[in-house]
Amino acid sequence: MPTCFATSDSESCIPLTRDKTPTRLTKRTISLRQFLRLSKVVGIFLVAATSLMSLGCQSRVASTDEIVIGHFGSITGSEATFGISTDRGIQLAIEEVNAAGGVNGKKVRLITYDDKGDPREAGSAVTRLVTRDQVTAVLGEVASGLSLAAAPICQENGVPMISPSSTNPKVTQVGDMIYRVCFIDPFQGSVCAKFARENDKIKATKAAILCDQTAPYSVGLQEEFEKAFTAGGGTIVSKQAYQAGDQDFSAQLTSIRASEPEVIFIPGYYTDVGNIALQARKLGLKVPMLGGDGWDSAKLGQIAGDALNGCYYSNHYSHEDPSPRVQNFIKLYQGKYQETPDGLAALGYDAARILFTAMKTAPSLSGKDIAAELAKTTGFEGVTGVISMDANRNPVKPAVILEMKDGTPRYVATIAPGE
Amino acid sequence: MALLDIENLSVSYGSIRALRGISLKVEPGEIVTLIGGNGAGKSTTLRTISGLLSPQEGQILFEGKPIASKSPHAIAANRLIHVPEGRGIFANLTVEENLRLGAYCRKDTHEIRQDYEHALELFPRVKERLWQLAGTLSGGEQQMVAIARALLARPKLLMLDEPSLGLAPQIVQLIFQVIRKINAGGTTILLVEQNANLALQVAHRAYVLEVGKIEMSGPAAELANSDDIRKAYLGGH
Amino acid sequence: MADFLQTLMTALAIGSLYALIALGYTMVYGVLKFINFAHSDIVVLGAWLSYSFAIRALPLVGLDAHNPATPPPIWMTAGIFVAVLLLCSLAGFLIERLAYRPLRRAPRLNVLITAIGVSLLLQNVGQLDFVFGASPQKMPALLPNWELPIQFGQGESIRYVVLPLIDCIIFAVSGLLMLALELLIFRTKFGTALRAVSFNTDFAALMGIPVDRAISLTFMLGSALAGAAGFLYVLKFPSMNQPAHSVWVLLGLKAFVAAVVGGIGNIRGAVLGGFIIAFVEQFGAYYISSNYRDVYVFSLLILILLIKPTGLLGSPVREKV
Repeated sequence: MPTCFATSDSESCIPLTRDKTPTRLTKRTISLRQFLRLSKVVGIFLVAATSLMSLGCQSRVASTDEIVIGHFGSITGSEATFGISTDRGIQLAIEEVNAAGGVNGKKVRLITYDDKGDPREAGSAVTRLVTRDQVTAVLGEVASGLSLAAAPICQENGVPMISPSSTNPKVTQVGDMIYRVCFIDPFQGSVCAKFARENDKIKATKAAILCDQTAPYSVGLQEEFEKAFTAGGGTIVSKQAYQAGDQDFSAQLTSIRASEPEVIFIPGYYTDVGNIALQARKLGLKVPMLGGDGWDSAKLGQIAGDALNGCYYSNHYSHEDPSPRVQNFIKLYQGKYQETPDGLAALGYDAARILFTAMKTAPSLSGKDIAAELAKTTGFEGVTGVISMDANRNPVKPAVILEMKDGTPRYVATIAPGE
Repeated sequence: MALLDIENLSVSYGSIRALRGISLKVEPGEIVTLIGGNGAGKSTTLRTISGLLSPQEGQILFEGKPIASKSPHAIAANRLIHVPEGRGIFANLTVEENLRLGAYCRKDTHEIRQDYEHALELFPRVKERLWQLAGTLSGGEQQMVAIARALLARPKLLMLDEPSLGLAPQIVQLIFQVIRKINAGGTTILLVEQNANLALQVAHRAYVLEVGKIEMSGPAAELANSDDIRKAYLGGH
Repeated sequence: MADFLQTLMTALAIGSLYALIALGYTMVYGVLKFINFAHSDIVVLGAWLSYSFAIRALPLVGLDAHNPATPPPIWMTAGIFVAVLLLCSLAGFLIERLAYRPLRRAPRLNVLITAIGVSLLLQNVGQLDFVFGASPQKMPALLPNWELPIQFGQGESIRYVVLPLIDCIIFAVSGLLMLALELLIFRTKFGTALRAVSFNTDFAALMGIPVDRAISLTFMLGSALAGAAGFLYVLKFPSMNQPAHSVWVLLGLKAFVAAVVGGIGNIRGAVLGGFIIAFVEQFGAYYISSNYRDVYVFSLLILILLIKPTGLLGSPVREKV
């Protein structure tokens, strides 16, 4: 027997049984009032659910004989090697510090959350690290867009955050809790522009740019490159854009082809860059391509193969650097993971070690004290160079240029700041 | 055995009871009409028989078998055909496609062809419009298509819901002539009409429905002469 | 000239894919009058099933699963295609049977919200490790990498138009599928019944048409076309994003826009809309700026809705009363 909640008006009644009632009754839409009522119910439910969840979060407190640090990174997704490499670098540093007795006698434990390369996931991963796991410090992310999504959360909660490899200047501008151990894009952009203008094999006067307009990293780097390239006397003949994950670049590449550039600057991440390179070669675009540290992944060579031969990117270190600091790290890393570390692994390692150094000298493990120590970092001998924090919590350090040869990056040059 | 035998049928729309325990019978070869005012439950009765509505109580026997729990397409496949109020034309299909759908459940290609020709003989005007979209026809033409289409199912029982609704008097005359012809050909008909005058002229027997209950029943001629009926439904003539 | 032709060819290939996907939206809307938001996830399913089948099938003929030296025999490629079509239509059948049919008599808003739920469910189940995983993969080549370079101009201004085999195959296969659908819908008894159901389910049931079965078949047909689109898509763009990547959602959204632009509920409109969307997107990106390629698509949608709210071919025939 169908029941009806509306007493007066039979038309507004929704039969609760599944009998064959006439369509006249079922084709109705809901009124505004009903919609508002529905939204209210949903709203109350959401509020209740979130408050229940946050109650549950408070229950865990870190034990006193260990230090818990958090890492959020893209362990899966289009930039998966970024997160995995960084995590491995961090793990290596933790193993080292724990083997040497830990930080002031306390063992360091790492909690890693996967953000799938998604800014929303990054936000919730960091919230979880900070509120539920109550970590002492946070490491991450590689992609600037994801670091920017997470940094305000760390800043508000007074938890120091070190981004190993987000190069966009805005990341550390979020506040005095946010640090990084890599160079920033104004420097990287000028390095790329200088290289494009002056390298004997390129000597470009006309450059095209293909930028990922959804990534702050890519947009920022594009601007810096353009500034430096035009200041050096070159012209940008075509500026095209794509969105992370796009599959079809033929319109942009056809357009670039028509503008006849001598070099194409692609400040994107490796998955997209690989696809772009493949499609560019198919369209008969043979000029060299140039990019930033977003290219740094073993996957790049796997995707693009020899389509990237004769292309260059700027990076934080080269595994071909003969200095013992670098070669030691590579030996350790290869011993543990049976692969050659990329720049992101090296930066993850450096970020963790800088953090431990700061923790050792800090008067307490409060966020403020650690951050204050981090700010004082000078002359830290990292794998990726000597790191000193400037007033904006950005290190000043050189960049290297790598050339892709049959899928592997080879060292070409080192360019120091101010050169 | 009656072709259609309804006992104590009750149907509700939500909390509104549309039918309150009606019983009626249709014998093979008859034209039975169901008359009554607006909202009396005439269309509800037909919609329940054809399976579009489920009854709360009561049973419907067609050729002695219960059909009240069956789905509408299974009931139609038993050749109990319902031409709904408003004619049930598929406006997005051509007239020809509409007619073909009438024979949807049949496989006897040869006989379908015969019935098709026969239906078009009954309605020469439909024949002229075969390739038009049915939605572009006039109301009278649509009613003709609806009846012709129903005939293509070779109905054992043909249920017509308000075939005269909104049509010009000449067209109504024509439709009712055809109804007689169809019946003369051996098809049993259950006719729902608001125009009681016309319905009682053409039917053998009649039921009078009022707010979900059968108020009166009997041979059509008798009811046509009854004073109550004349007052209530025939405009007092 | 060369660049124009190149853009034209890409637009044709991508337009075919949009059209295939748009057909599913429009068919379901035609019979049930709601937007099946889970439809784009069937495309993803088709893409990822193609990958899963390919990496398992290639070793059977002695080829490397991820980087086959030569394409597999054509029967294997065709077999994978057919298997994807069948499994996608099964998925469409199950989704309708389990999620939408219980709500057949419920207000349409409930069904719409359910569809969003089904979509989220599929996306996230797809990302589980034992399903497809949350990392991008590279689709192994199932077809020879043939290309026909057509030369324009001479000397300094030499230009090539590269006509890849896969674009021709996409165009041909989608064309055949759409032709088959057109014949099925407009030339068969079943198709007539389906159009009757889409006009009015009650009237159709009175004709003896099993409405539930017709609706199931609609979902299966639409899902098979979506599966075909997924298969062709990863053959053209072998670098596959993880199942919940926003790019898949955008692909589905553009196909949906195509259906609306062509007139939702209208089969020929969906095909027309698919090509229009691809042309606007590709030529806009080439001639104006690639920064706004999505803007062109959605501006076109707004424009069409302002001028002709029912879409280009959507002129509903009104029933005379």
